[in-house]
Amino acid sequence: MDLTDFVLWTPLDNQDERRMLLLVARGKNVIPDQPSDLVQGTLDMLILKTLALEPVHGYRISERIEQMSRGFFRLNAGSLFLAIHGLERVGLIEGEWKPTENNRRAKYYSLTEKGRKRLNNETREWGRQVAAIARILEAS
Amino acid sequence: MSLLRNIASGLQSLFRKEQVDGELDEELRAYQEMATEEKMKQGMNRRGALRAVRLERGSLAAAKEIVRSGRWESFVEMFWQDLRYALRRLGMAPAFTIATILTLALGIGATTSIFTLVHSVLLKSLPVANPGELYRLGKESRCCYQGGYSQENEFSLVSYDLYKYLRNNTEGFSELAAFPAVEHVFGFRRAGNPEAAQSSPGEFVSGNYFSMFGIRAYVGRTLTEADDQPNAPPVVVMSYRLWQERYGSDPSVIGSVFNLNDKPFTVVGITPPGFFGDSLRSSPPDFFLPLNTEPFVESDADLNKVDTHWLELIGRIQPGANPASIEAVMRVELKQWLRSHWGEMSANDRARFPEQTLYLRPGGAGITSMREQYEHWLQILMMVSGFVLLIVCANVANLMLVRGMERRRQISLSMALGAQTSRILSQPLSESVLLSLFAGAAGLAIAFACTDVILHFAFPTFAGFASVPISASPSKPVLLFAFVVSLLTGIAFGIGPAWMATQVDPIEALRGATRSTAREGSLPRKALVVFQAAFSLVLLSAAGLLTAALQRLENQDLGFVQEGRIVASMDPRLAGYRSDQLPTLYRRIQDSVASIPGVSAVALCQYSPVGYGWGAGIWVDGQPAPGPKDDNSAAWDRVSAGYLQVMGTPMVKGRGISEEDTATSRKVAVINEAFARKFFKKEDPIGKHFGKEAENSGQYEVVGIAKDARYLTLDRSDGAFFLLPEEQADYTQTNMGSLFLHDIVILIAPGVRLSDTQIRQAMASADPNLPIISIRTLREKVATRLTQQRLIAHLTSLFGVLALILASIGLYGVTAYNVGRRTSEIGVRMALGASQGHVIRLVLRDAFLLIAFGLILGVPLSLATSRVLSSQLYGLNPYDPSPIAVAAVVLGLFGFLATLVPTRRAIKVDPIVALRYE
Repeated sequence: MDLTDFVLWTPLDNQDERRMLLLVARGKNVIPDQPSDLVQGTLDMLILKTLALEPVHGYRISERIEQMSRGFFRLNAGSLFLAIHGLERVGLIEGEWKPTENNRRAKYYSLTEKGRKRLNNETREWGRQVAAIARILEAS
Repeated sequence: MSLLRNIASGLQSLFRKEQVDGELDEELRAYQEMATEEKMKQGMNRRGALRAVRLERGSLAAAKEIVRSGRWESFVEMFWQDLRYALRRLGMAPAFTIATILTLALGIGATTSIFTLVHSVLLKSLPVANPGELYRLGKESRCCYQGGYSQENEFSLVSYDLYKYLRNNTEGFSELAAFPAVEHVFGFRRAGNPEAAQSSPGEFVSGNYFSMFGIRAYVGRTLTEADDQPNAPPVVVMSYRLWQERYGSDPSVIGSVFNLNDKPFTVVGITPPGFFGDSLRSSPPDFFLPLNTEPFVESDADLNKVDTHWLELIGRIQPGANPASIEAVMRVELKQWLRSHWGEMSANDRARFPEQTLYLRPGGAGITSMREQYEHWLQILMMVSGFVLLIVCANVANLMLVRGMERRRQISLSMALGAQTSRILSQPLSESVLLSLFAGAAGLAIAFACTDVILHFAFPTFAGFASVPISASPSKPVLLFAFVVSLLTGIAFGIGPAWMATQVDPIEALRGATRSTAREGSLPRKALVVFQAAFSLVLLSAAGLLTAALQRLENQDLGFVQEGRIVASMDPRLAGYRSDQLPTLYRRIQDSVASIPGVSAVALCQYSPVGYGWGAGIWVDGQPAPGPKDDNSAAWDRVSAGYLQVMGTPMVKGRGISEEDTATSRKVAVINEAFARKFFKKEDPIGKHFGKEAENSGQYEVVGIAKDARYLTLDRSDGAFFLLPEEQADYTQTNMGSLFLHDIVILIAPGVRLSDTQIRQAMASADPNLPIISIRTLREKVATRLTQQRLIAHLTSLFGVLALILASIGLYGVTAYNVGRRTSEIGVRMALGASQGHVIRLVLRDAFLLIAFGLILGVPLSLATSRVLSSQLYGLNPYDPSPIAVAAVVLGLFGFLATLVPTRRAIKVDPIVALRYE
């Protein structure tokens, strides 16, 4: 985000809010709805995959996605929890409050049976799609 | 399953909001904490780490907002919030709220009221079982008798013989019922009761009529096939209305004997409340008699005449049957039936045989003659009330715009703080929708009152008769209509101002500006005023056009004189008169009424103007017989001596019906000019002969030609029309319908006033048992024929005035607002030496520019509207510029009045005070 063309005369110490004002001034929507680098719907699949091994809490999910993608996907807290709560609502995952290793309380999410099935389906489907797309792209 | 879970979870978060919110908070805080710790492990201090996390992952508040907005219940919450907020804001401006609700209620009420009528008359089905299964014979309603073996365009009326043939041979119907097209009135009285006979509408119906409609008796039983047999004991079913109103729901009515036209009938049952027969009529029937009792009641019976077609058919098709194939089967049956009567058919009928066909149409609404009659004027009223609603919307939108201007600062601040556009849009929108829903509720009350009044004027009721079965109280569809209209209205006048409110620059709030910079916001307001002026012009000119047409109809030369004439109506049949007793009765009535002091002349006739006449096919002596395609129809009436003089219709040639025309003298007729033109062309008709039957063309000798008049319709001059002397009627023909005269026309000497009592006494001295149906002046009688036109003209005028007032208020508002905003400018101008005249011109120029634009837009619209109107109503002159000119002048005048107050305020501006504001 290039901030040089915008001079604020109200002192703001928070970069985020500064960015928001800039966007307002440009007539854009303030809150980005989806991480732009992620194909629609794939975030759900990534979260399910993260939970396939063991139940973890929200921060760990985002950390794992970041690690596994080698820093490619960096998730905004809003998008992450929107997706998590959506999955919980439709019963693909379920949450449980547990103490963390640092003796804090956190909500740990685990895959339900339905979630596991969905993950398998989606993974298979994804693989097929990617293979198909790759074939098309290589053909030319 | 997941949908259910979603709903359950949503409801949980709605009702246990704090707990759910708390959990989300805790979860997010834990998340942030862990992320921060991670950063701190990398060596950052806590403050820096926190800042880095916010930057990378978004702030907690933003995340919470995103997660919340992803749930469906957040919409409910938002809606609820907006609703409470809107209520509070409206409560803070009670004057605005009440004014707006009232204005809107007028518009919504007017539209809903007209829709109530549209729904009842044009859209509703009969209150019977599964109306979708009902099919009727005929594309259009036709009244009332058709003779012979051919019908023009379609075979839509049938004789009893043809009905039986169709009923017995068409398998697609589970029931096929028949009833006459004409409305019958019966004189009735409970047997053994000394009361005078009353008259009420009744209907002969086939025995399966009630089972076809799926109607069960409220008390007792309905008619059955067994009742509808030639020698069955005569029974009758009474309407709930009559039973309740006249007999106080007396259970002993069932099983007791009633005399209908002096013939005894046993009442076997009562129809359920709400059932009004097979068609929507201004006076629904109170008696249902079996078809086969028709010869018993009426000596001049049609039942057994094979070639008199007088019955309508409605049938219920078998479940799953295809109406198109039933129609095809019936067409074949019609041809077969006609062929079986080939011997009796006239040459013309035979020539028309190939084109004879019939049509089956959905019959769920019954016989729709009323629908056909009222369709046009209801459409016009719907259009007019729609215009009113549009003007109301424009007016309220204008008010909302002003409100929008007031909250610009607040909105720009909210936007600067990151409020979503949709949220900002939804606040004023929910306010306007709330307003219009309140107005819709108030509008329903207005609609109820309006509909009641309209029904009263549109369908005047006769004492003792049932009133039109249309209820003013809102039904479910009407409620739905009012709700949808209110909602749409709210959105229509709210969306523009709401959207404009979001078009503010957040910088404005940050700058802390107190005055509006440019002239923003004034263009839409001006456009709305222009729009209002244009639509007011349309309504006013339409009102002018309709009123002018009405006045033309009222004041036209009808060919007879309305003043100083009273018409008393009677029905000798209701008193049980036989035809051979009639001549004596007529003499006695004539003599006793003529002896009332102040009466200068009296004449009896079958039908006085304006309305009915008999129809006949004319065969002129010495001319070739009319061919199958020739129109040889003429209308006629039977009158007593001196009728034309009493009516004030001048003779063109020869003489009128007079005392010299007696039963023994030569049979004569008096024709009108149209008759002479149609049948005698350029010949002199006096002394020529014509007749009503082929074999009898020398029946009547023409002795006079009367001037063309409007005895039958007000819209146009009568076609061929002739009068026959009452004394020369053949009274040996038992109870023939045309022998019974209905109207007594009384000519009063100038300056004399005659009371109804005097007339009733005179009639009673002729026969105390003769029921008098009505006594009214000829002018009143003619005026009732214009009820519809008058109602449309008056309602349109009312709506036009309403529109005018609203447009004036709109113009006043805009002008006042502009003057207020330009106060300092005016002050500067005056300080620099502008005169009061300059200032007045300045203000008026703006106002009149708006009106001028309104006229430019409104004149073509008005022209188009009058074109549409004149295509639907008779007697309008769409090329008459005067209504539009008058409307434009009135609009200008009201516009001027509306700007007076703001103009006064403008010239009162004190330059010193105005400049101090700067």
